[in-house]
Amino acid sequence: MIHRADDGWSPYLAGALSGLVLVLSVLIAGKYFGASTSFVRSAGMIEELLAPERVSQLAYFKSKTPKIEWQWMFVFGIFLGSLISASTSASFRWQALPDMWQDRFGRSISKRAIVAFLGAAVAMFGARLAGG
Amino acid sequence: MKILIYGLVTGILFGFFLQKGRVLRYDKQLGALRLMDMTIVKFMLSTVLVAMVGVYLLKDLGLIKLSVKPTNLGANIIGGLLFGAGWGLLGYCPGTSAGALGEGRWDAFWGILGMLVGAAVFAEVYPALKTTVLTWGNLGKITLPQILGVSHWVIVPVFIVGALALFWLFEKMGL
Repeated sequence: MIHRADDGWSPYLAGALSGLVLVLSVLIAGKYFGASTSFVRSAGMIEELLAPERVSQLAYFKSKTPKIEWQWMFVFGIFLGSLISASTSASFRWQALPDMWQDRFGRSISKRAIVAFLGAAVAMFGARLAGG
Repeated sequence: MKILIYGLVTGILFGFFLQKGRVLRYDKQLGALRLMDMTIVKFMLSTVLVAMVGVYLLKDLGLIKLSVKPTNLGANIIGGLLFGAGWGLLGYCPGTSAGALGEGRWDAFWGILGMLVGAAVFAEVYPALKTTVLTWGNLGKITLPQILGVSHWVIVPVFIVGALALFWLFEKMGL
């Protein structure tokens, strides 16, 4: 097997270390990992700029208050952590189309944008419905 | 304020390991869904194994509390199917879309926009869901050890053996 420079770490090791981070997070901050609630809070924060009355009418924003809290910072941290890791290991790549996508669906950025956007909306709706 | 810094630091560490494990990429996520590359499953299950043992140990020591989400069959099944279909189209999940953007895969940006819209739509229809789907098959906050009436230290080793067998299979098949 040819060793590629971009192989990263063993997923078993990186995954196990992430498990350790989770255990420490629960112990120190009392927080389990999650991400999708932060998209609800962010959507609420954006809507508050556009239509504040609507936000105050919606029951869902009563329990998921539109504000920045632990999990929102956690999701933002994932972005930063990935940026740090990628840019210090020469694996950062500014890329509009994933390789597998391009092989199958071609070079159209708008096609990728539409499918990604719609898929994301459905995925988030499903995640919120399923509760996590 | 302190809790926000905990969130940020925890996220940075997790994002760092997600990137090192190469699990943030569309090709890896679709690779798993197409049963071609099990990298993300290896990562996830390794996280679960360590966290499962660590969390239950700390719980037994009385240092932490479990956070059990209610089982709600209607919502879990329909929501899960929708999530899976959307994930297959997007190729990132909510957390990994932020990480994918961090390593420059900026098609994740379309995903983040779509997720904000999906979340807003959910907030709009929540009152209707609350009286329908969210009431179907509500079993409350149950766990496997609880419904089987055994100690969690019976379930944990079974889960570990199952995961290790799966890892062995993946390596054997070159996945």
